[in-house]
Amino acid sequence: MNNKVLPLVMMLFIFGLATGCTEIPEPKTPSYETTLDATEDRNSAFEEFFPIHYQTYLQNNDDSQMTEYGGSVPHEKHLCGDLPQAYKYCQPYLKNLWTGYPFSFEYNRARGHTYAVHDLLDIDRLNRYSEQAGLPSTCWNCKSNKVPGYVQEYGDDFWAMEFHQFREEHDLEDHTIGCNVCHDPETMDLRITSVPLREAFEKIGIDLENATRNEMRSYVCAQCHVEYYFQDPKFGAPAKPIFPWTLGLNPEEQYEYYKGFGSTTREGFEGWFIDWTHPVSDTPMIKIQHPEFEMWHDGVHGAAGVSCADCHMPYVRLDGKKKISSHRWTSPLKHIEQSCLQCHSDKQPDYLKERVIYSQERTWEQLLVAQEISVKAHEAVRLASEYQGSRHADFNQLMIQARERIRKGQMFWDWVSAENSAGFHNPAKALEILAKSQQYSQQAVNYAMQATNYAIAPDLEGDIYEIVPPIKEHSRKLQMSQEHLDSHTWLQYLPKFEEADLIWDLNQRVR
Amino acid sequence: MKERAAVSKSAVLAILLVGIVLTAGAGFTMKATDQAEFCGSCHVMYEAVRTHQQSVHAKLDCNDCHTPDPFIPKMTFKTYAGMKDMYKNTLGQVYDVIHASEKTKEVVNDNCTRCHAMTTLNVETVKPFCTDCHRQVPHMNKLPIAQRRVADE
Repeated sequence: MNNKVLPLVMMLFIFGLATGCTEIPEPKTPSYETTLDATEDRNSAFEEFFPIHYQTYLQNNDDSQMTEYGGSVPHEKHLCGDLPQAYKYCQPYLKNLWTGYPFSFEYNRARGHTYAVHDLLDIDRLNRYSEQAGLPSTCWNCKSNKVPGYVQEYGDDFWAMEFHQFREEHDLEDHTIGCNVCHDPETMDLRITSVPLREAFEKIGIDLENATRNEMRSYVCAQCHVEYYFQDPKFGAPAKPIFPWTLGLNPEEQYEYYKGFGSTTREGFEGWFIDWTHPVSDTPMIKIQHPEFEMWHDGVHGAAGVSCADCHMPYVRLDGKKKISSHRWTSPLKHIEQSCLQCHSDKQPDYLKERVIYSQERTWEQLLVAQEISVKAHEAVRLASEYQGSRHADFNQLMIQARERIRKGQMFWDWVSAENSAGFHNPAKALEILAKSQQYSQQAVNYAMQATNYAIAPDLEGDIYEIVPPIKEHSRKLQMSQEHLDSHTWLQYLPKFEEADLIWDLNQRVR
Repeated sequence: MKERAAVSKSAVLAILLVGIVLTAGAGFTMKATDQAEFCGSCHVMYEAVRTHQQSVHAKLDCNDCHTPDPFIPKMTFKTYAGMKDMYKNTLGQVYDVIHASEKTKEVVNDNCTRCHAMTTLNVETVKPFCTDCHRQVPHMNKLPIAQRRVADE
C-alpha cells in the first residue's frame, strides 16, 4: 500500500512546487504581432488572426432585439406604433422640430457597427436624388474605416469633398466600422484614428500618448459617440469635424461655445454658429448628435472610472476558458450577467434592470414634455412674427430673445434625446438638462406673447397636439410634392423640391 | 524468535517513519494548497489573487477565508472544492463571470467573524453578510475592470 501512496504524495508535492509558485502578473495586456500591413482597412483581413473576436464582432448583425427603451431594431424614432417601423417609445414631434433640416427626412434608431456603412448609404438625409449629396465627406468620418486612409491621402481637403464620389469605393461589410478604427493592425494596440478627437484632446490638454489603459477603453468610443459640428470656412478647413469642448463637456458650456465659430451677421446672433435656420420660427438652430461620452464622463459610472468597455465589451469565454473582450456593441441589458454582475455581484439581473428603467422612465417622460414645449415655442414665435395687430414697443428685441430661448431650449432636449442611454449614463444630469430645456422653451413662449401684447395667447391655449399636429411623414421624395407640403401648416414654410429620381442605391449608381 | 522480533521491530520503525513523512507531507501540502501562490497557478484565478495581493488581507492565505477552519470540515470542503475546480478547468466550462457559491459565502462569512469577533462583540450585525457593508473585501469588485482583468486569463 505504501508503495502506491508514496509516489502519489510525491507527485502532488512536485505538482505543487512546479505549478504553485508562479508569480501573478500585473494586469498586463497580451501582445500580438500580425503580418498585416499598417494601413490595412479591410475587416475580413483580421478574421484569420482573431477568429473568436471576429465572431463576436459579427454578432452586431443581430438587429432583432429591443430592450425596454433601447435595442437594435432600426425603427423610425418619431413613429409611434409597432416594430420594426415604429416603437412604443417614440418622439412624435421630431420631424416638426427638425423641419428644414435633413434629420426631418429620416432618423432611425442606431444598430450594430456592422451596418454603419449600409445605413449611411441608405439614409434619406444625404441627397440620393442629386449628383451633390448636399452634405460633405465629413459624413464618412465615423462610419467608414477608410477614413484614416483618406485623411492620409487628401489631408484637410477631404472633408469638403463630394460625399457621393466615395460611395463606390466602399464594400458594405469590409469597410464599415471595424478593427482598424480602434486597433493598430500590426500590434493590435488600442489607438485613436479620429482626427477631431486628437485635436479636441490637444486643445483641452488631454495627453493621448500617456493615456492609461482604462482611459483608452473609453477614448476609443469617444472618437465617434460625441457631439460634433462641421467647421465654418472662416475658421479653417471647410467642413472639418470639430468637437465643441474647449469651454467644457456639458450643454451650458457647449451652448456658450456655439456663441462663436459661425459667420452669420444676423442681428442678435452675430458670429454664432448655426446648423440650420428653422423655417417655421425663423430661429438659428443647433443640432446635437449622440453625446454619449459627454453624458457619461461625469455620471455615477464615468466619474468612478468605469469605462465604456466595462459594460459594452464585457469579458466572455467563448471557448469556455480564456477571456476575450466581447466585440458586440449593444445594450448591456441584453447581457446583464456579463456586464453588470462583474461588479454588482450581490444583485440579481432583474433588480439591476429595474434600476436602469427607473431612470429611463422618468427621463423619457420629461423628454416628451420638453419637446412639446419646444414645439409650442416655435409656434408662438411663428404666430408672433406674423401678427399684424399692435406690437410691443420692444418687439424686435423680444423676438430676438424668444428665438435665442428656442435655440437653447431645443439644444438642451436634443442633448438628452440624441444621447442613447435614455438618461442611464447620467440620470441626474439628464433630468437637469430637460428641466432647463422646459424653462428655456417656456421663456421663448413668454417673450413671443409679450411681443404681441399677449394677443397670440388664445391661439396657444389647449392641447399642443391639436394646435400643432405631429408630422408623421416627410422625406426628400415627399418634399417634391405640393400636395404633401400643403398637408401641414408647418410644411408650408418649406420650398418644393424639383421632381427627381434616385441616382444612388447604396454603393451603386442606378442612373 | 530473535529473528522475528528484529523484523517486526524494523517493520514498526519503517511504518512509523512512513507515518511521520506522510503526516509532514500532508501537513505541508495542506498549507501549500491554502496559499495564493498555489491558487493563482490557474489563470482563471489571476484576478482573485491580484486583488487579494493589493488588499489588507494580502498576508493571509486564500483559505483563511475560503475554507472552514476546523480540521475535518476543512478537509472535506477542500477536497470537494478542489475536485470541482479541477473539473471546471479541464473537462468543464468556466463561467464568463465567476461568482462565489452560497456555501462559500457562508464559509467566508464565518471566517470574518472568527477573526473579527472582538470588533463586533458589543453591536448587533443585521445584514446577512459582513461584506454587505465591507464591499471592497470581495476582491475589490467595484474597481474599473482594467484594474482587475486582462484578456487571455
